[in-house]
Amino acid sequence: MKVKDLGVLTRALRNVSRRKIRVLLVVIALGFSMAIMISIPAGIVANQKAVEGLSDDYNEIIAQMEEEMNKTLTLIECSLTGGFRRFTFAGTEQFLNESAIYDISSIQGVKDVVPFLEKTEGTMQTVERRGRTFNILVPDYTIVGVPLNSSLINSYAVLPTVVTEGRNLCEGDSGFVLLSLNNTEYFEAGVGDKANILGRDFTVVGVYESTDPLELRKLYMNISDAQAITNLEGKISRLDVYAENQTCVNDVVKAISEDYPDLYITTYEDRLSQLQQRANMYQTSLANSESTLSQMQTTVIQEVGIAIVATSLIVLFTMLYTVRERTKEIGVLKAIGFSNWNVMSQFMLEGILMSLMAGAVGIVIGIVGAPFLTSILLPHINPFGTLGLSQRAAFPGTPGTSLSQSVSATPDPQTMLLAFGAAALLGAVGSLYPAWRASRTSPMEALRYE
Amino acid sequence: MSELVLETEKLDKVYKLGGRQVRALSDVNLQVKKGDFISIMGPSGSGKTTLLNMLGCLDKPTYGKVILDGVNITKVPEKGLFKIRKYKVGFVFQTFNLMPYLNAFENVELPMDGTKKSGDEKRKRARELLKMVGLSEREEHRPQRLSAGEQQRVAIARALANNPAIVLADEPTGNLDSKTGHEIIRLLGKLNIDQGTTIVLVTHDSLIASRAGRMLFLNDGKLLAKEKQGTHLLKKELTCPNCGREIQPDDTFCPRCGKRL
Repeated sequence: MKVKDLGVLTRALRNVSRRKIRVLLVVIALGFSMAIMISIPAGIVANQKAVEGLSDDYNEIIAQMEEEMNKTLTLIECSLTGGFRRFTFAGTEQFLNESAIYDISSIQGVKDVVPFLEKTEGTMQTVERRGRTFNILVPDYTIVGVPLNSSLINSYAVLPTVVTEGRNLCEGDSGFVLLSLNNTEYFEAGVGDKANILGRDFTVVGVYESTDPLELRKLYMNISDAQAITNLEGKISRLDVYAENQTCVNDVVKAISEDYPDLYITTYEDRLSQLQQRANMYQTSLANSESTLSQMQTTVIQEVGIAIVATSLIVLFTMLYTVRERTKEIGVLKAIGFSNWNVMSQFMLEGILMSLMAGAVGIVIGIVGAPFLTSILLPHINPFGTLGLSQRAAFPGTPGTSLSQSVSATPDPQTMLLAFGAAALLGAVGSLYPAWRASRTSPMEALRYE
Repeated sequence: MSELVLETEKLDKVYKLGGRQVRALSDVNLQVKKGDFISIMGPSGSGKTTLLNMLGCLDKPTYGKVILDGVNITKVPEKGLFKIRKYKVGFVFQTFNLMPYLNAFENVELPMDGTKKSGDEKRKRARELLKMVGLSEREEHRPQRLSAGEQQRVAIARALANNPAIVLADEPTGNLDSKTGHEIIRLLGKLNIDQGTTIVLVTHDSLIASRAGRMLFLNDGKLLAKEKQGTHLLKKELTCPNCGREIQPDDTFCPRCGKRL
């Protein structure tokens, strides 16, 4: 290629392209340093956003729960099984006679009683743990029978509220079912279709949605239909008892406990305490995340610092070697009238060009390898820290469980531009001393150099 | 009397080698007139290259002064010497010292970098010089694709790029075979005659030295009083000293009587 104007840039470019293998190796090495400089800050930004998102999620959940709870100040939940069960052990579902409805309704201070019949259907599996054999029911769906009495379903949280297709159940619906989106897939039935549940066909009236994964397992129908298909006539599994006002809740609880000592009873205060526990767990996990983030920032400063020093040193040693190798050439340049500044600028430009090439390579490596680099170079955020699995399991649907894996870090254009600028600057810094040394070389000494 | 281009007065150069003082040049008084073609001959270690380095501002004398084109270069500070090297001196080295990453044309253009010449002027001058040294067809070739003689021709063209007051050639034929060496000397002679270029050449080869106009002798750092006239002056007359027939400046033998010129 014929050069029209032989300037310092052209000469620098020719020199850089002269020793291709060496330049390639140096550029790759520098490129990795640059990639670290690009992807690590991107990783921390992504983690920061993730933790901010986690905090928002937590706050939203607590606020929602508080709102829901405030609607149920007078609600007393009664069931024969307490707490949360992810798996149902065979034969552990317990039911009580529906006569309890009438007994409890007659207690002074009770306004309404809403019975539920919940029966989980699934596949039995045998598992062995510590030498013992368990039969576990892996659930496919849960039948929820509710009283379709308009005064109850209009006043209390009996049915799902977010119906996305069709309609909700209403008074007098018999032979109808309300499915979740998960159920429609399982039964392969949509609105208006027939779904065969335990041998009986039900018409799907609507489909509901929920953010709670456990809720999505449930299908709703009239309680008498549920009792019929599950062969549990006259049985219920739990009761929602509504007191006339908040002040008489304790008296009602006392009376129920006396009549039904086997019932687990949960009041607003219990739920509040549970909410507090959940809020505390969220606070702890947020604090864990923020602590890791802070540790991450220190690590980032160290790693980026190392990358900067490594880049400068690579440029420095490469250029020192180049200057030594080209001593005679420097002598000739000076003999034919090149000033110290001319020589220095040429060598500095070569260092900068090499770093800019490395910057471009680093950006490519950074874009492609940012998730990998951040996953090996940054500590992982584990929001749950020392919190045990059981504690987490007690609060299903807790956000942030996926945060312990690496978040997706993508360098933004500003970081890339900054990295390109940093490459030029580091190239200049790294080649400053070698270029200065080259410019100070005595032409006579340099010409003798072999 | 022609004007003096280069003059040295009582030039001394003393080096310190392992605590011992070594006198490389001693009381060298030299006068070079414009258009001179001078060879300085001497054995290895006689101080030829040291003297050339002093004359070309590559090194400073311990004592004495060097006046180049009216400028006392011994008084010019280090950072100002590059201008003298750029505009007043042209170097031709024994090992050619061309830039391997530039082609012949660019090598000739290189010393003009940073001068006030426009891009077109630089290219025109480089083309003109390559034509002058007979390498118009090879301007795109990089040094590794040129023969040793061609490389030295490019180096001569490069030395003339900024039209210097003097060309200093350090053993310019030292790395060439005898035939090519004589061709290079003939080229220098031709430039001296055609362009009036002032040339100072140092060599240890008496035959090469004899092709200059004046032959000076350096021994143990001292310029000897004896001075010989070289054959170049005869060629300047452009007639054969044997038969009197007109000859061309680059003729080696007389085309009529065959006498070596």
